[in-house]
Amino acid sequence: MVAPLPDPRCAASGSLMADISRRKLLSRLSAGAGALALARLPRPLRAACAAPQDISDRLPPFTGPGPNPYWNSVGPVVTYPQKYPLILLTDRPVQLETPRHFFLSPFTPNGAFYVRWHLEGIPSTVDLAEWRLQVTGNVEKPLRLSLPELLARFPATSLAAVNQCSGNSRSYLQPRVPGGQWGNGAMGNARWTGVRLSDVLHAAGVKPGSVQVQFQGLDQGPGPAGFGSHAFMKSLDLTNPVFEECLLAYEMNGEPLPLLNGFPLRLIVPGYFATYWVKALTSIRVLDKPDENFWMKSAYRIPDTPRGATTPEAVKAGSVKTIPINRMPVRSFFVTPEPDEKVPMGLPITLRGIAFSGYGRVSRVEISEDGGKAWTAAPLGEDHGPYSFRAWEFPWTPQRRGSHTLAVRATDEKGNVQPDEPVWNPGGYLWNRIERQNIIVGAAQ
Amino acid sequence: MKRPSNPARIVTRGVFGLRLSSYSLAAAALCLSAATLLFAQSERGDYTQRNLGALSQPVPPRAQSDDAKYSIGSYPLYWPEFPEGEGKNLVTAYCNACHSLRYILMQPPLSRQQWSDEVAKMVKTHGSDIPPADQATIIDYLAAHFTPETRKH
Repeated sequence: MVAPLPDPRCAASGSLMADISRRKLLSRLSAGAGALALARLPRPLRAACAAPQDISDRLPPFTGPGPNPYWNSVGPVVTYPQKYPLILLTDRPVQLETPRHFFLSPFTPNGAFYVRWHLEGIPSTVDLAEWRLQVTGNVEKPLRLSLPELLARFPATSLAAVNQCSGNSRSYLQPRVPGGQWGNGAMGNARWTGVRLSDVLHAAGVKPGSVQVQFQGLDQGPGPAGFGSHAFMKSLDLTNPVFEECLLAYEMNGEPLPLLNGFPLRLIVPGYFATYWVKALTSIRVLDKPDENFWMKSAYRIPDTPRGATTPEAVKAGSVKTIPINRMPVRSFFVTPEPDEKVPMGLPITLRGIAFSGYGRVSRVEISEDGGKAWTAAPLGEDHGPYSFRAWEFPWTPQRRGSHTLAVRATDEKGNVQPDEPVWNPGGYLWNRIERQNIIVGAAQ
Repeated sequence: MKRPSNPARIVTRGVFGLRLSSYSLAAAALCLSAATLLFAQSERGDYTQRNLGALSQPVPPRAQSDDAKYSIGSYPLYWPEFPEGEGKNLVTAYCNACHSLRYILMQPPLSRQQWSDEVAKMVKTHGSDIPPADQATIIDYLAAHFTPETRKH
């Protein structure tokens, strides 16, 4: 850490201090009363002369072994090409988290959208003269499409969908688990525009006996072939109804995708965790037997239990059967006010936040003013579709001084309600516990 | 110097050489009490010295050609400081091959067993070619600096 430079005006024997003493405080100062001189300096100068406090305004460099006490992860803020300042998790490959305030809008700006890559060889240049979308494997007519061909051959369609990292909120699990230590900002919502995956597969002609479709992007790792460190590939079962909703998106919120979010083409799997949303997509392979690559067989798997919950003991005993991670459980968040923000009693404020579910529309968001005992429905914002963030707003006039614990919970159209119990599994997935936060109500007079 | 037209106004010469009348003295007294009231209502002018430049403004994108290449240049790297100790050079050499060392610093404090499992994962499922003796040294180093008992950085 670089030590802050002292303000040159601050040295007790410094000439400016001496000047001030002489000119303005001449008759009132006894010789050598340095502390008194400091106290009588104008406040800004006094601050400049106080010991620099470069530690107190920084978050700790890591959290744990307890849960991360913050809404976001604790990394430094960094700037990346095509991005607003975001929170750094790792630099090679790049993982960046979206700061909380960007969720005031139900659509996350492209520049603020979180970033998560698996392999260090991520594209920094894409040459569209060379890039092709290839459809190969167990198909009648393999395809090799340029971007203009893709746009000309298939109709465009749009949908709003939340993209959430499987490990979002991993830093709140107890006991802590290794992996990307995300706070809550490994998520975002965008309006995706592209062609239907089913149209492209239909054009290629999926042969009978096919079981899965595998997706791969332009990223590559330095590991040996056949290992997860070499190639990132994800597959979906052909029987999965989500196929009918998948898009190959070339636009995100009405613009080309940032390179870090998957330019020029990204697989959109509405309702599913982002591990399936392959970025910089270049290869679609129709498989006649299940994909056994690392990213399907070993990684991104959840216990085959209610909520995907298990215990460290069960994992150690080797008794946990796992399945590939799939749809996102229902979640809701406070975006404003800030935790422990102080507001005056009797003055109306508005609590704001978002909610979503991978199982369909959010049908209800409720707020509790007493930490989760009594619940009141919050008015919902515009409905942008079943897989979008749904904004909510709750006008609230605090009537009692002191610390209040607010809570928010959402219910989706399938009747799933956010539970109040934490979840634990070795991958650090599926966190969707009811969110709570404190607010301080002060006296108004 | 011209005298004031109203003989009732007592003119004094202020300490700074300004002319002050009884009116202006009354006004000054009012200002003073108003100022006292203001001070009671709030505390002001509180500043603290901080370090500037921790986050620098990004350089605007460089001029682009009109060909089919879409480039955002090179990604920034931030080399982290690691505690000295036996095994640091092995960590720097082997772990950094596939991912930056921030991956280690980002983790919460992990137990020796968890670090051992992580090293085993890199070898077995990711194909990292680390000789067994070096694996042991790496685990020792991680346990010496990054467990709940030992982590400081």
